Amino acid sequence: MSETYFKQLPVIDSTTKPFWDGARRHQLMAYKCLNCGTYYWPAIDCMACDNSKMEWAKVSGKGYVYTFVVYHQLYHPGWKEDIPYNVSWIKLDEGAVLLSNLVECKNQEIYVGMPVEVVFDDITDEITLPKFRPLT
Amino acid sequence: MATIKDKYAFVGIGLTKQGSLPDLTVDQLAVQAGLRALEDAGIKKADVGGYIFQQGIGGGPSAGAVRDIGIACQFALELQSGGATAVAAVCCAIGAMEAGICEAVMLLHATSASSMGVLVGAGGEGASTEGAYGWYSPAAMVAAMARRYMAVYGITERHLGMVATTLRENANKRPDAVMYGKKLTMEDYMKSRYIAEPLRARDCCLVNDGAVALIITTAERAKSLRRPPVYVMGYGLDHSQREASRTQQAIYQFDGPVTDKAKESAFGMAGIQPKDIDVAEFYDAFTISVPTQISSYGFCKKGEEGGFLEEGNIRLDGKLPCNTSGTEQSWSYLQGFSHLTEGIRQMRGEGGECQIRDAETCLVSGFGATGIGVSASCAILRR
Repeated sequence: MSETYFKQLPVIDSTTKPFWDGARRHQLMAYKCLNCGTYYWPAIDCMACDNSKMEWAKVSGKGYVYTFVVYHQLYHPGWKEDIPYNVSWIKLDEGAVLLSNLVECKNQEIYVGMPVEVVFDDITDEITLPKFRPLT
Repeated sequence: MATIKDKYAFVGIGLTKQGSLPDLTVDQLAVQAGLRALEDAGIKKADVGGYIFQQGIGGGPSAGAVRDIGIACQFALELQSGGATAVAAVCCAIGAMEAGICEAVMLLHATSASSMGVLVGAGGEGASTEGAYGWYSPAAMVAAMARRYMAVYGITERHLGMVATTLRENANKRPDAVMYGKKLTMEDYMKSRYIAEPLRARDCCLVNDGAVALIITTAERAKSLRRPPVYVMGYGLDHSQREASRTQQAIYQFDGPVTDKAKESAFGMAGIQPKDIDVAEFYDAFTISVPTQISSYGFCKKGEEGGFLEEGNIRLDGKLPCNTSGTEQSWSYLQGFSHLTEGIRQMRGEGGECQIRDAETCLVSGFGATGIGVSASCAILRR
């Protein structure tokens, strides 16, 4: 692991490992209900049909900004150099809503409904964070 | 349920000073509030058989507090469902009295948050998927909901400013408010720094020290006590643990189905309609929660909140005076106890310069998003 990375790293457990393995391969995954096909993130049992038979499935990586905030208050020292930074909730074309950051654009340019696509940020040798940029 | 209506009443309020109180521990604050509530009600310590408290931001009070208050507890409960706790405590107290355990209960909230220098929502050590994306704090969670709500329903930052300034004007009329004497104009509001944009510092609740204790008893016993009883006409609670992980659903439904169910239950039990409510004390840890609840509780339709605010309806002389003390925004951050306390004071006619004349009914709401899920609560009080 990089010794210069001061932000927190994601929790990777047996349920979420396929998501992070996918990210490392630069492939975005979402948790899909085997019964009704609804996609989720993070991994939860299906709320649409009360089903617990789920699988990780590849998704397009395209979607739009569902909502976003811009942090001006620092809550963790790892983000000190990034203030003001955005945290954006991305609604994928498949329906799942991902917590992420929008990159390659200014905070002032972000709006609810903005079309975006996934990019991959290899933050350490082992971990890649899916992030999003405006769809051009 | 109908049999519970008007069967129980609040008979005592005990308040400490609210603000920065570094010389008092959270236990000392709790004891002061507890003793004042007993004094206010004129009830004997031996007659208060139940104690329910909510830990404030920063922790406490301890068991030592209730020992020093000296009530004869047959039961003591600590409750925690964030901002929904105060009304939930009312329901638990009524449940205990219905169960025949006791005939009076003390509800208490105490906090030393400002003196402890708490940064609410600060990130910790170790792995966190949310932290990996810089996602921290209740303010940001509400800001994300607010951004979406504002985009869908046409609420602007100035509308939030109307909430902040109206509530501040109310607090400016209340000598015991943390923000007494501290004015807030729309210009001040628009200049206040963003915390998690679109929410500014002036959209976020206070963080202060203080405590309150409230005593509730049976309507029959209330008659012989010194204060005018404030009756509980109805209440409602709802909770969704599915939103516990703060997933997208928490953002879609921040103030959705759980509030609807709490509302239906409370109004059904009280047998009245939103139009019969004279004053409302909406949970307001963040300004956005006032417009969202105005429509969720049926005072206007979704999408009409902005116009409702522009017409001045939430002001003291408006159609629905709201948050008459300034509540969590400008009076004191006692979580849902801020609203419950002010609701009782309004029904007693003790709202001072903010008293709504001839007010007979009051809606008090609570809302909490905690580690155990999303909870909504509301109570309808009458004099």
